[in-house]
Amino acid sequence: MTAKVWRERVTYTAMSLLVAWHTLAMVVAPAPGTSDLIKGLRTVLDPYLQLFKLDNQWNFFAPDVGEEGHDPLGVILRYVIEDNAGMLHRFDPTAGLNWWHPSSIWFRAWYLALLGSQDDFGVQFAALFCREHADLHPVTITLYAAEQKDYGPLDRLRGKQPLDAEFVKVTTEKSFPCPP
Amino acid sequence: MSALDISARAGRKAFAAAEHAWSRLWFQERPTTPLELVRIGVGAALLLHYLSASSYLFEFWGDAGLLPRALALRDADPWMQSVFFYFTAPWQWIAFDALFLFCCAAFTAGWRTDWVKWIVLIGHISFVYRNQYLIYGVDKILAALLLILCLAPVGRAISLDRVRAVRRAKRARLDAVLPPYSGRWAGACTRLMQIQMAVLFFYSGTTKLMGEEWWHGDALWLVFSSEEYYNGLLLDLFARAYWLVNIATYGTVLIELAYPFLIWQRATRPYLLAAAILLHVQFAVFMGLFYFSFVMIMGHLSFLRIEWLRRLGAAWKRAIGDMEMIYDGKCGFCVRSMVWFLAFDGLQQIRVRDFRKNPSPVVSDAQMEKALYLVLPDGRALPGFEAYRYAVLRVPGLWWQIPLFYVPVFSRLIGHPIYNWVAGNRGRLSSILLRSRRS
Repeated sequence: MTAKVWRERVTYTAMSLLVAWHTLAMVVAPAPGTSDLIKGLRTVLDPYLQLFKLDNQWNFFAPDVGEEGHDPLGVILRYVIEDNAGMLHRFDPTAGLNWWHPSSIWFRAWYLALLGSQDDFGVQFAALFCREHADLHPVTITLYAAEQKDYGPLDRLRGKQPLDAEFVKVTTEKSFPCPP
Repeated sequence: MSALDISARAGRKAFAAAEHAWSRLWFQERPTTPLELVRIGVGAALLLHYLSASSYLFEFWGDAGLLPRALALRDADPWMQSVFFYFTAPWQWIAFDALFLFCCAAFTAGWRTDWVKWIVLIGHISFVYRNQYLIYGVDKILAALLLILCLAPVGRAISLDRVRAVRRAKRARLDAVLPPYSGRWAGACTRLMQIQMAVLFFYSGTTKLMGEEWWHGDALWLVFSSEEYYNGLLLDLFARAYWLVNIATYGTVLIELAYPFLIWQRATRPYLLAAAILLHVQFAVFMGLFYFSFVMIMGHLSFLRIEWLRRLGAAWKRAIGDMEMIYDGKCGFCVRSMVWFLAFDGLQQIRVRDFRKNPSPVVSDAQMEKALYLVLPDGRALPGFEAYRYAVLRVPGLWWQIPLFYVPVFSRLIGHPIYNWVAGNRGRLSSILLRSRRS
C-alpha cells in the first residue's frame, strides 16, 4: 500500500475521531448530570468543555422564566445613600442604563452578582457608587433587592404598572461605609 | 463456502455499509459558503460588541476593576483560562484588546483567516472567563460557533483570502478562473455547526417543558412584564387578548422542539429555517435581544443549501445582466488595477476585453485611449469613474466600496478628477510600478 493511501486513511480516521468527539461533547454538555453515564462521560470531557467554554446548558428562560442560570428575572438592585447630614437619597441604577448599549446587560448582570455575593463585591460597589455620588458627601450606602411579584392581565387593564409598590417586594440587604 | 467465509463476507459488507453511511453523514464534499456567511456575521457581531466593551476594559475585566483577579480565579477551574489572568501592566490589556479587535475585523473580512480566527477564539474565551458574571446566552453560543469556525477551513470564499488567491491566478492571465473551494472537511464542519444548532434548540425546548409557566402558556407574559424586558404596547395587547400569550408561548416551544427533528429533511428545512429566523427576529424586536438574535440567525445559516445560494447568485447575475469591461492591455498599471477589481467579482459578472488585441464594436479605440469603458447589457458604454461607479453597486464583492462611490455630489466631484488624472498619467504610473517591481 502506498504512503499516499496510508496518509489518506490516517487523515480520514483522525477527522472521524474529531467529529465524533466534538459531537459527543456538544450533546453531553447540556445533559442533566444525574445519570451515571453522563457523569462518567463528563469526567473525560470536562477539560475540553471548560477550556473552550462549551459547558453550557442552553436553558434560556427555562425551566422557569425567572430562574435562568444566575440571572433571575424581575430582581432589581436599588440603593440608598446617607449623606453626612443624615439625609437619605434613593437610587435605581438600572433606570439609567442605555438599553441600546451592551453595557446595560453587563451592569444588570453585575448588579445581580452584587445582590448574590454581597460579601465578595460589596466593598467595590460601595466605592463605585459613593464615587459616583461624591457631590452628596455620602457616608454609608445600603443595598435593597426589589423583587417583582405577580402582575396579571387584569392588573394591566386596571391601569397598574409592574413596578407599582403593590407588585414589588423590597428587601433590605447590607450596608457599607463609603471609603474616605 | 464455509460458514466462516460467509460471516466474514457479511461482516465486510456491514462494515462497508457503515463506512459509507458515516462518510455520507460527515464527509460529503462541500464548499464553505454557508460557513463563510456565519464567519462574516459572527465576526461583525463580535467586533461591534467588543468595540463597545473597550471603554469598560479596566472596569469589568481589569485587576483594579469590579472583579479583582483573586475573586475571578476563585471561581475558575484550572481549565478555564484567560490571557487576562497573566497580565500585570495596563498596557498589556490595551495591547491585547487592540490586537483582538483587529483580528475580529480581519476575521470578518476573511484576511489571513487561518490564524486570526484562533486569536478571536482565544480573545472571546479570555473575556468570558475573566469575568463570568457578565456572560449570558450569546457569549456561550459564540464560543461554540467560534470553535467550529476555527476547526473549519474558512476564508476560502467571500473573503480577502479568496480575493488574494484569485488575484494571484489573474496576475498570470487576466481571464483565469479559480475554481471555488470545496472539501470533505468543510462538509464535516458544516455538519458540526448544524448539530450544534439542533442540540441547542433541543435542550432549549425540553428544559422549557419542565417549567410550569411554559406548560400553562404564561411564560411570555412574565417575560414582558419583567423590568428587564418590559414592553408596554405588547402588555396592553396581551391583557386584552390573553390567548395571544398562550399561542406565542406554545409556539416558541413548538418551534424549538420541532427544529432539531425536522430541519434535516429536504421538504421541511425551509419552513423550520424560516420559523427559527422569525422567532429570533421577534426576540430582537420585542425583547431588544439584538446581539443574541443576530448571532443565532447566523448559526441557522449553516443550514443553507448550496443550491439555494447558487440559485440566488444566478438570479442576481440574470437580473443585472452581462457587463463587459474594456481596458488597455498595454498599460501595466491598468492591467494591475483590473486584476484587483476582478478579484472581487466572485460571481464572475464582468467579462474583460483588451482593446489592443480585440477591438470593441461599441467603443472606438480613440475613446479607449482616454479611459476604460464598461459596456452594459443594454449596449450603453460608461467611461472611467462612471464605469466603476456602476459596477460597484452591482457586484456584491465590491459593495464595501459603495460609501466611496455613492456619497451624493462629493463622490463624483472628487472621483472624476482623480480618475482622469490616473488615466492621463497611466503610462508614467506603469513605468513607476515596473521600476519598483524590478528593484
